[in-house]
Amino acid sequence: MTTHTAGARSVPGSARLWLAAAVLALTASTGQAAPGVYLETPMLRDDVAAKKLPPVKNRLPDNPLVVPMDGKTLEPGQHGGTLNMLIGRARDVRMMVVYGYARLVGYDRNLVLMPDILQNIDAKDDRVFTMKLRPGHKWSDGQPFTSEDFRYFWEDVANNKELSPAGPPAALLVDGQPPKVEYLDKSTVRYTWTGPNPDFLPQMAAASPLLIYRPAHYLKRFHKKYSPKAVDAEKSEPGRRSWASIHNREDNMYQFDNPKLPTLQPWINTSSPPTDRFVSVRNPFFHRVDQAGRQLPYIDRVVMPVVDSKLIPAKTGAGESDLQARELNFNNYTFLKQAEKSNNYRTYLWRTAKGSHLALYPNLNAADPVWRQLFRDVRFRRALSMSIDRPQINQVLYFGLASESNNTVVPESPLFRKEYQTLWAKYDRKAANKLLDEIGLKRGSDGIRRLSDGRPLEIIVETAGESTEQTDVLELIRETWREAGIKLFSKPSQRDLLRNRVFSGEAMMSVFYGLDNGIPSADTAPDELAPKDQAQLEWPKFGQFYETAGKVGEAPDFPEAIELMKLWHDWHGASHDERAKIWHRMLSIHANQQFTIGVINNVMQPVVVTNALKNVPEKGLYNWDPGSLLGIYRPDTFWFTDARRN
Amino acid sequence: MLAYTLRRLLLMIPTLLVISFVTFVIIQLPPGDYLTNQIAELRSQGDAAALEKVQFLRAEFGLDKPFLEQYAAWVGIWPTDHGFSGLLQGDWGWSFEYNLPVLDVVGDRLLMSFILNMTVILFTWAVSFPIGFYAATHQYSWGDHGLSFIGYLGLATPNFLLALVLMYFANVQFGLSIGGLMDPQYLDQPMSWPKFSSVLSHLWIPVIVIGTSGTAGMIRRLRANLLDELQKQYVVTARAKGMAQTRLLIKYPLRMALNPFIADIGNLLPSVISGSAIVSVVLSLQTEGPMLLDALQSQDQYLAGSFLMFMALLTVMGVFVSDLLLAALDPRIRLSGGAVQ
Amino acid sequence: MGFYATRSRVKAYRVQRMTETQSTTTAPLEHYVNTAPFEPEAAEALTPEQEEFYRASQWRIMWWKFRRHRIAVIAAFVLALLYGSSLLTEFLAPYEVSSRDSSNIFAPPQSLHLFHDGKFVGPFVYGYNMKLNLEKMKREFTPDLDKVEPLRFFCRGDEYRFWNLFDADLHLVCPAEGGTFFLMGTDRLGRDMFSRIIYGTRISLTVGLIGIAVSFLIGITLGGISGYFGGWIDTMIQRLIEMVRSFPELPLWMALSAALPVTWSPILIYFGITVILGLLDWPGLARAVRSKFLALREEDFATAAVLMGAKPSRVIARHLLPSFTSHLIASLTLSIPSMILGETALSFLGLGLRPPITSWGVLLNEAQNINVVALYPWLMLPVLPVLVVVLAFNFLGDGLRDAADPYN
Repeated sequence: MTTHTAGARSVPGSARLWLAAAVLALTASTGQAAPGVYLETPMLRDDVAAKKLPPVKNRLPDNPLVVPMDGKTLEPGQHGGTLNMLIGRARDVRMMVVYGYARLVGYDRNLVLMPDILQNIDAKDDRVFTMKLRPGHKWSDGQPFTSEDFRYFWEDVANNKELSPAGPPAALLVDGQPPKVEYLDKSTVRYTWTGPNPDFLPQMAAASPLLIYRPAHYLKRFHKKYSPKAVDAEKSEPGRRSWASIHNREDNMYQFDNPKLPTLQPWINTSSPPTDRFVSVRNPFFHRVDQAGRQLPYIDRVVMPVVDSKLIPAKTGAGESDLQARELNFNNYTFLKQAEKSNNYRTYLWRTAKGSHLALYPNLNAADPVWRQLFRDVRFRRALSMSIDRPQINQVLYFGLASESNNTVVPESPLFRKEYQTLWAKYDRKAANKLLDEIGLKRGSDGIRRLSDGRPLEIIVETAGESTEQTDVLELIRETWREAGIKLFSKPSQRDLLRNRVFSGEAMMSVFYGLDNGIPSADTAPDELAPKDQAQLEWPKFGQFYETAGKVGEAPDFPEAIELMKLWHDWHGASHDERAKIWHRMLSIHANQQFTIGVINNVMQPVVVTNALKNVPEKGLYNWDPGSLLGIYRPDTFWFTDARRN
Repeated sequence: MLAYTLRRLLLMIPTLLVISFVTFVIIQLPPGDYLTNQIAELRSQGDAAALEKVQFLRAEFGLDKPFLEQYAAWVGIWPTDHGFSGLLQGDWGWSFEYNLPVLDVVGDRLLMSFILNMTVILFTWAVSFPIGFYAATHQYSWGDHGLSFIGYLGLATPNFLLALVLMYFANVQFGLSIGGLMDPQYLDQPMSWPKFSSVLSHLWIPVIVIGTSGTAGMIRRLRANLLDELQKQYVVTARAKGMAQTRLLIKYPLRMALNPFIADIGNLLPSVISGSAIVSVVLSLQTEGPMLLDALQSQDQYLAGSFLMFMALLTVMGVFVSDLLLAALDPRIRLSGGAVQ
Repeated sequence: MGFYATRSRVKAYRVQRMTETQSTTTAPLEHYVNTAPFEPEAAEALTPEQEEFYRASQWRIMWWKFRRHRIAVIAAFVLALLYGSSLLTEFLAPYEVSSRDSSNIFAPPQSLHLFHDGKFVGPFVYGYNMKLNLEKMKREFTPDLDKVEPLRFFCRGDEYRFWNLFDADLHLVCPAEGGTFFLMGTDRLGRDMFSRIIYGTRISLTVGLIGIAVSFLIGITLGGISGYFGGWIDTMIQRLIEMVRSFPELPLWMALSAALPVTWSPILIYFGITVILGLLDWPGLARAVRSKFLALREEDFATAAVLMGAKPSRVIARHLLPSFTSHLIASLTLSIPSMILGETALSFLGLGLRPPITSWGVLLNEAQNINVVALYPWLMLPVLPVLVVVLAFNFLGDGLRDAADPYN
């Protein structure tokens, strides 16, 4: 997957955005097709005629986002049709926000940040962000979208002690300091921090985004300050206690389960829970158009039936889903492929971009002192890594189509280097045995090595018990480790219990997904590589130390961990080039030190697309953040051929 | 009769109370609660805003209060911050997962569960009655052995596997949509003729799968009881007096043989309810099974507790009705105060 | 004999009587004089068979009655075989439980043949030809009629630890050198299903036994006390029984299993599951025991014992209990299948046993997805032993129950 334009790497981050936005603004105004002439959406014609909705020209902002379609990657389409997508839990209706991917700034399919809802954004030194909204942009109920919605969020939600007892979201704090927020006019907002906030834009472009605006006109009636009735509602609502919790229940932009809440996404939810079937219809005030002047989205309706996640492969194979990737695994591919012809769909294989599909996390904060010392010996970790036969795992489970790798960035990332992938990851029994002998772990009569206190070298690896893939991989690893004299026991557990046991140091080693974001660029914060989060299973206590500002946990006590923290601190104030250098240093430390032992990445993800659906790319990247699963491929530009457009 | 009914009714109350206590204990057994589980998951997804909402709920729903107080509040005999509000007051609690009152979440599913379970019981009766009858009157014949064997097969096959296989074949052969109690487009629509026929066409798989396990036991019991009756003196007398066979059978032994049928609702109902729970999970039916499993695993305690109570209530009521019917049928039971084995 | 058969017999008798009375004449009656000496006890003398019958102890009579029920005997035999096999699991299975073959993943079952090209070769299988279809991501296996792989018997094969005590590698049957013997195909890691099913026998069959033991203890104690003492103790226990019976089983299993600490070792969880299963099963047994006791305690021999000063525990244990041991055994036997099915169901839901423990339930759990039903149906074969065992126990229980009342 090629990344952004060649010039991008050498241009500083803020300027780059400005450039991109300028280019976009330019293209928008010169118009490859005259955006002044818009075609009315057939589904809404009747409502417009009956004066229930304004005509399309007045529904769009003055300066809508024109989505360029070159006819090759994206074909201009026609309005109409209903898209069926299966979800495994009612909560997953929030996928409409993830797939709809309307963001203030968003990634395009080359992972370049672009203004989307915003007309443009000026980011000076990553510190002062001046955001310009599109004048005339309206919420899905026709009310104007203005800086008032930003003000309501900042003053009346984020800084209201009852609604946000913990204060504004952590992503809006730099060194613990909140920003200065100014509303320059009805469509301009400025956030100013004392120091750089490089996470600000990526967080707003995330799958589960940082939202700094709210539909003020709707929520005000639930706010004590604006509506006396809000306080009365406390008493009449069953099970509710305070106006704040009612407000919180209504304020559910990401959860997407409140049909009355206005939204800026391409489709609006019309089903209130509890329901087994969520129907979302087009947002008549959506801000994007295609070059021919059609207001997006093309598809009129999205229906999401809620079914048991285990049945989803079966149902997809029976043709009951038009577009499905969620809840499908690589091992469903054969079945899906078999049923393709009779059920009129095709199965694509996209690539996932986790650092490693699964990784082993030796607990460097293990409670047992002997184990802790052993895990901290880099030779031991390297030996463990070299005793894993990655090619065989790849062959047995993934038909050789995945990539054998450490837990590091994937080739699609600009920071990728081959040595990060292969260092200490080659299956080499002799070298592994040599290292283990060097440490002094002698073999007993049964071939299993002994610890320094005589106990057999038996590692209990705890898993979250959620996937048979993990069990299978562990089974394969078990055999090769045995040859090296190490016994592996796998112990299925539960996600939360696993975490707790790792945090407390009781669990020796755990298995979990690798790096969440395997496609960072130099400007992505290297959060996952530094010991700053308790959820990092290889050093939870270091992370806890950082998160609680030293109150609980342990301080990093060996040189590499300390260096990683320092590098992470340095990254924040660094220039673009320095940031790239810092990333490379951190990646190389990880590859050398094998703090987490990766196995395989770039695992393929089946994506089922019904034959009548167009503009879905055959090859793509399936990643939560960045990527928003289908989001960066803009489902609002997917369209149906004739037969399905009702 | 009235005294018996009243006595049984009164006895139901402590039964339900104890069941509710045990249920609550079991749900609370796993460490932590729904919110502790959620916090970790939300953090890993970066859903920062929800964290604050979670802090709210913890205090609001008294999840930090001691166990007995939580239990008493749930039942409704101890006041919460907002007065009495528990099972006794008709408030089934709040579901964290769905962010709604339990009653709203559960609503339709209870109706579907009821329909499914009743259909299964009717199916079980309808199938086991003629088979048991035939088996008893043609004892040791090929039909007897053969039919009993088929009944046993139904008992021995694990439900869930049968459900999955039947579902797949129904889809491949008949184009029936996979799983569910009806075609997806009827899911939210009010009852109509097409919706009803869709439900019927989907209903037969779970009914067969769940029903077959119950029929074996029924057949066996009916056969055994009918055989016992047929040895009795009055049958020989009637036959000697020249009564026509079929009329004889229907007028006397059959009535006695109906006894276990009615009594067995008490046995049948719990097994049907639990059997249907598993099959519902496999087939993703819109009954209480799948939701209960999710609720138990995510510790959505009020939802899980209310489901369990509902199922226990169904069972207790079913046993009560069956005992009543039995008492009406058999005076011995009424007078001796308990079911004669 | 049959209900309807009697009717025709009666009819025939009537006809016979009628014809007889019609043929009398006035001649002196035919009579016959027996010249043998008068034996007053002739009517009471027993034939050798009858003597044997009356002399026989209770248990012998039960055995005879049981033997008549042929299916029950076969069932008993099958079960003995299966339980016996679990003693020699490692020896009987062609492969070790976790032994893998990466080149034979999702291989279909190989059928046994005796004749190749018309010649007798002995038991053998045809080897596989494997083609990797990368378009469909499928490994396609076809039997290669040229690769004849005769089976070896009493051979050295995969190494295993016999009952975790010592290492050995003797197998009853092994594949040919360099060949394969997958009687029931392989799973996604290339493990032999047949061997795994054999290994699963040990766990699945014993789950039922331990659960039964728990259920037995509780049932006998409570049922016995309830039936013997009567009165308010009886009522209390009756209510308890009803309460436990009213619990819908499966949801309670789910809840209890979800409550089992996940930190427990697999063995402990296994015991926990069996105890849970047993805890919910005892009401049926208790009721049976209770009603039997209620009847039996009025019997003369019980009254006699009490009059002679025996303590209640002695009366129960020494006098009442033996009278219905047979019923107990029958009830127990009939409860085992529900335990086995229960473990299967729980493991399927992911709440019971989990890999790396191998039980039939765990194997079925791994088969519980659409890939298996559509593409690799042989992974559902573990349902066969479940079926056989449950049926066998049911028939055995029926036979025992019929035999339990020998004097009936």
